[in-house]
Amino acid sequence: MTLRAITLLPEPICVSPDTSLLETLHLMLERRVNHIPVCDGGIWAGLVDINDILYELLPVSARVEHGLKDLRFVGDGVALIASHFKDLANKPVREVELHDLPTLDEDTPLLEAALLLHRHVAPLPVLDANGKFKGMLSRRTLLAHLIKKAGN
Amino acid sequence: MTPPSAVSEAIFGLSPLLVSLTIFVLTYAVIVTEKINRSVVALLGAGLMIFAGVLNQAEAFHGIDLNTISLLTGMMVIVAITQKSGVFQYVAVKAAKVVKADPWGLLVMLSVVTALFSALLDNVTTVLLIAPVTLLITDALRISPYPYLFSVIFASNIGGTSTLIGDPPNIMIGSATGLTFNDFLFNLGPVVAVVMALTLIPIYFIWGRKLSASAEDRALVMAFNERQSITDSRLLKQALFVIALVITGFVLAHSIGQEPGTIAMFGAALLLLLRVYDKQAEDQSHAIHHTFGEVEWITIFFFIGLFVVVAGIEKAGALDFMAHKIVEWTGGDFTITTYAILWVSAVLSSVVDNIPFVATMIPVIQSMSGTFTPQQIETLWWSLSLGACLGGNGTLVGASANLVVAGLAERAGQPIRFLPFMLMAFPLMLASIAVSSVYLWLRYL
Repeated sequence: MTLRAITLLPEPICVSPDTSLLETLHLMLERRVNHIPVCDGGIWAGLVDINDILYELLPVSARVEHGLKDLRFVGDGVALIASHFKDLANKPVREVELHDLPTLDEDTPLLEAALLLHRHVAPLPVLDANGKFKGMLSRRTLLAHLIKKAGN
Repeated sequence: MTPPSAVSEAIFGLSPLLVSLTIFVLTYAVIVTEKINRSVVALLGAGLMIFAGVLNQAEAFHGIDLNTISLLTGMMVIVAITQKSGVFQYVAVKAAKVVKADPWGLLVMLSVVTALFSALLDNVTTVLLIAPVTLLITDALRISPYPYLFSVIFASNIGGTSTLIGDPPNIMIGSATGLTFNDFLFNLGPVVAVVMALTLIPIYFIWGRKLSASAEDRALVMAFNERQSITDSRLLKQALFVIALVITGFVLAHSIGQEPGTIAMFGAALLLLLRVYDKQAEDQSHAIHHTFGEVEWITIFFFIGLFVVVAGIEKAGALDFMAHKIVEWTGGDFTITTYAILWVSAVLSSVVDNIPFVATMIPVIQSMSGTFTPQQIETLWWSLSLGACLGGNGTLVGASANLVVAGLAERAGQPIRFLPFMLMAFPLMLASIAVSSVYLWLRYL
């Protein structure tokens, strides 16, 4: 049984590396997903995690090595975060760490795909024979398929 | 008991002076290039000194100043534990609120707090504690952190000059000469306070008067709750108790016939006891292992290696020779020698690490005891201390604290570049040495 058997998400969205983080965040919220794939002219370029966007909103002094360890004393601090939202609008996705993930293709066996998904805790990209991005395989999609197959 | 090695011959029958100087210069040169970690270079140099027959192991060990090592290690343990209480963050935020988050007031307060902490703790630790909070506050106030980071760098080096424990050169000088905590405070405290105050004047004119923050942003900072920084008040009480005890110990050391190394190590052990006495054996082990892991072993081993290397050239007679040359060159004039040491130390310390420099100069000055009175030699120590400590402000590479702040600033997206820093810092440093010159003249010459 290979991935050919699974129907992937209907229209795989894939943002370009120049898309702003703010726009990407809107997409994530709209589609209720935590990850958005990034493609450069149809070729897979990486994955943006919603956690990376959250990271950009944190004050720089807490992000750096040897920085602040806790921010309890800041209290509410929403104003601090709010001022970073405009940074999100100006930063393209390419400036954020795009996760280096293993890629799957249509001939990948389901069991191997399951193992890789577990190991990387993120949806994995599925590429076609020419290396073009076809869609993302999430744990939900795989498990939904397996549960049907196993007759549960 | 290992017999002392013959002074007349080193390996292959070469002159020990030549061999030891070669190893010394090589060690120093590699350290300056920063291609290899300095602790490794120092240890290798030490080993070579011994293998090359300049020293034997017993003499090498004798050259390691364990008072300095134990003082450094003891204080590192105490600070590592105290840091976890969040007290430093508390003080920094409190300081910001005392001036109602006014940008200039904030700069002055953070500088003063940094100077005070630096006097009691090592400079690198101090800036690691102050710089992140500074970055957060300037972020909240939406002002450039550069003037603040610049001032923090200066304050850490200036503050550290005022006490025996504030800066490694002072620890080394105090250790070699028996000058006490009180001696340093009484002799250097006054000039340090003046230098700190005067340094703020040009900083005000260049940056200070242009700093401004909106009322809303200041309100945000005023809303910070510094009490939340104290994560463990039991730890805080224990740490402050031990620090108070240790400082008292330093102040009384001379009168009770004790040395700072013992006091610091005992304090560290006492604080560790307070932290673990109610735990199970395995947890005790774990906690203590973790605390010992926070000690800057790179610095400690660097010192150990360096002491042996310097002991090597000292035994070979190189430092005696240098001392005679200096006295020759200054014509044995006390005033000229004092100023020469001050200014040369300052300029050299601004570009090379002051620790190897001071380690080398100590035996040199000690050799001058034939030419000058003990009172005069004491003045030379103050001259060396002021030059070596204040000189660190001259360039970004002048002191480790400078590089640490620069590294933090870079990662925070607000880099401090070498040349712009130097163009402001070098003249300011020279000014502080000029003030020191006046002070030395008024008080000792």
